[in-house]
Amino acid sequence: MLEISDLRKRFAGGPDAPEGKVALDGISFTVRPGEMFGFVGANGAGKTTTMRIVMGVLQADSGEVSWQGRPLGYDDRRRFGYMPEERGLYQKMKVTEQIEYFGRLQGLSAQAAKKSATDLIERLGLVERRNDAVQALSLGNQQRVQLAVALVHDPAVLVLDEPFSGLDPIAVDTLATALQERCRGGVPVIFSSHQLELVERLCDSVGIVSAGRMVATGTVADLRGVESNTLRIVVRDPAPGWSDGLPGTVTVRGDRHILQTADVDDQEVLRRAMKAGHVEYFGVEQPTLTEIFKEAVA
Amino acid sequence: MNGLMLVARREIVTQVRTKGFVIGLLVTVLLVAAVSFLPMIMGGDSYTLGTVNSQQLPLRQAAPDTEFEWRTFPDEEAAKQAVLDGDVDAVLVDNTRVLTDGEIDSELGVLMQSVNREVKLGAAGVNIPPLQVQSVGADAQYEGARTGIAVVLVLVLFMLLMGQVTMVAMGVVEEKGSRIVEILLSSLRPWQLLGGKVAGLGVVGLINMVAILAAGLLAASASGLAADFPPGIAGLVAGVLVWFVLGYVFFATLSAALASLVSRQEEVNTVLTPLTMTVMLTYFVSFYITTDPTGTLATVMSFVPPFSSMVMPVRMAATEVPLWQVGVSMAAMLLAVAVVLAIGAKVYARAVLRTGARLKLTDVLRAK
Ligand SMILES: Nc1ncnc2c1ncn2[C@@H]1O[C@H](COP(=O)(O)OP(=O)(O)O)[C@@H](O)[C@H]1O
Ligand SMILES: [Mg+2]
Repeated sequence: MLEISDLRKRFAGGPDAPEGKVALDGISFTVRPGEMFGFVGANGAGKTTTMRIVMGVLQADSGEVSWQGRPLGYDDRRRFGYMPEERGLYQKMKVTEQIEYFGRLQGLSAQAAKKSATDLIERLGLVERRNDAVQALSLGNQQRVQLAVALVHDPAVLVLDEPFSGLDPIAVDTLATALQERCRGGVPVIFSSHQLELVERLCDSVGIVSAGRMVATGTVADLRGVESNTLRIVVRDPAPGWSDGLPGTVTVRGDRHILQTADVDDQEVLRRAMKAGHVEYFGVEQPTLTEIFKEAVA
Repeated sequence: MNGLMLVARREIVTQVRTKGFVIGLLVTVLLVAAVSFLPMIMGGDSYTLGTVNSQQLPLRQAAPDTEFEWRTFPDEEAAKQAVLDGDVDAVLVDNTRVLTDGEIDSELGVLMQSVNREVKLGAAGVNIPPLQVQSVGADAQYEGARTGIAVVLVLVLFMLLMGQVTMVAMGVVEEKGSRIVEILLSSLRPWQLLGGKVAGLGVVGLINMVAILAAGLLAASASGLAADFPPGIAGLVAGVLVWFVLGYVFFATLSAALASLVSRQEEVNTVLTPLTMTVMLTYFVSFYITTDPTGTLATVMSFVPPFSSMVMPVRMAATEVPLWQVGVSMAAMLLAVAVVLAIGAKVYARAVLRTGARLKLTDVLRAK
């Protein structure tokens, strides 16, 4: 289990902003084995800073990252897989060599690195490109190599900063599948993204960060529970005044009346609507993650 | 340590495989070899002489380093033609006259006159013992060779130092600018990355150095130049390698630290300027010292790091240096290297993850 507790980070200011910039103002969350954690937040909210601190690339001013109950140390961290926000590969190095090299840096033997690189190249569809220099690859293929670099040592934890950005829908699916596989194997996965539908679809739990604070964490269902669910009824040609006394709003579109309400006896409302006219639609609408997100950061 | 080795190995493999490395090595090796043959091609004088109705003069005894080829002509007409065609440099006629095309080569002229005099006097029974030459300067016999070695050495040291030090800087910026360093530093410590890079590129420099020295020595023995080498050349070569390593570590670490302040390749030259100037200055001082290896400047500079890393080997090549001086100088240089390693590693570790605008060295040092 990966626990991030109360991270704080202030960046030193330049001459124009001598007071500096608080990037993290107490970030806490937990990721369990086999859990996929979606990290969302506006630009500049502090996602990248948090991930860099987790990866030891930045030092927090205070707070702690612990892994399996102990403070996360250098040796444990080598078993993590990381994809930084700004991608980085040696442009002139060949695909296979590059993946093998990072595998070795992360503690694999030469043989293990070779085997793992070969496997990944096959799984990620890079076989034809394996002897090409990275600079000769398309952006999508470079992303795959970057992912391979993060996965080569069969990491115990995956930390991916906006791994889906810039990918076409097919590449998104390939990546999503690769992540889900790892996750099912018991690896905690953290990734940040602005594609909220994707986060909603893939993630077991979500953290919403705003201005360096975690404003909401939990499963998508939990977050929905916090928000009140809306009841939505569409009635055609209802008798006038049918919704008098009910909370919520009625929108009239042609001969359709759309009632959006909450905190009511839904069965009672349905009976009234059926008596008043022809019910075309009746349902509880769950807010999308986008709505939850907007609400949370507002 | 293992991480450092992996980084170093990547650097070596990457650089050794480039065309630039192979071509550069070939060119320098050929140049050094050519320089070793140069004295033979230029300095090894040879003359073609002719006789008409004359005895050959025993010129060889008077000038053992010079080649003489003799031809005999049936009459003066044939000899004149050969002189005009440039087939022979001079023809001795009737043991009394010399035919040449224009003025005679002065060395040849003096040689023929004096040998002729000796022969004639000898025939008349006069025997003149040759003058005995005695040097009062130390090792005067090897002075030319020593200066030559020193000059070549300065050039090679400078080229390799500059080349490898620039490579270090470019490598650092490549990793910083492309943010590879972020992945690297999630599995390596900054000193491993820095140390591996400096060590790897240093090994490449050493490979170059050894190849050049080997080519030089081989070519020198093939050309016969080695006969003029002072004794203890092996010790000198070993010393040069040690000094090269010291100078390289000093400058390469500084180079990495400076380069870590910028994020773009275009900024490398600017940020390296103070370092480049220092290397250049070291080079000029060393080059000047080859002309005056026993002067005060040479003695003083051979103790001041980082100048000593190039000046001392040049001094050692050009003249005898007391052992204690070498020891003191090396201790000072080692100390300087240690200081640079400590500060350089700190700057690098703090700066290499801060991409964006160029950082100020003072800010980086002051930051907590
Ligand atoms: N190296 C840095 N120096 C100064 N400020 C920084 C630095 N890195 C990030 N910040 C600031 O910290 C805040 C959080 O940034 P970041 O973690 O990159 O946000 P996100 O990844 O959520 O978009 C931003 O206001 C950003 O400007
Ligand atoms: Mg970010």
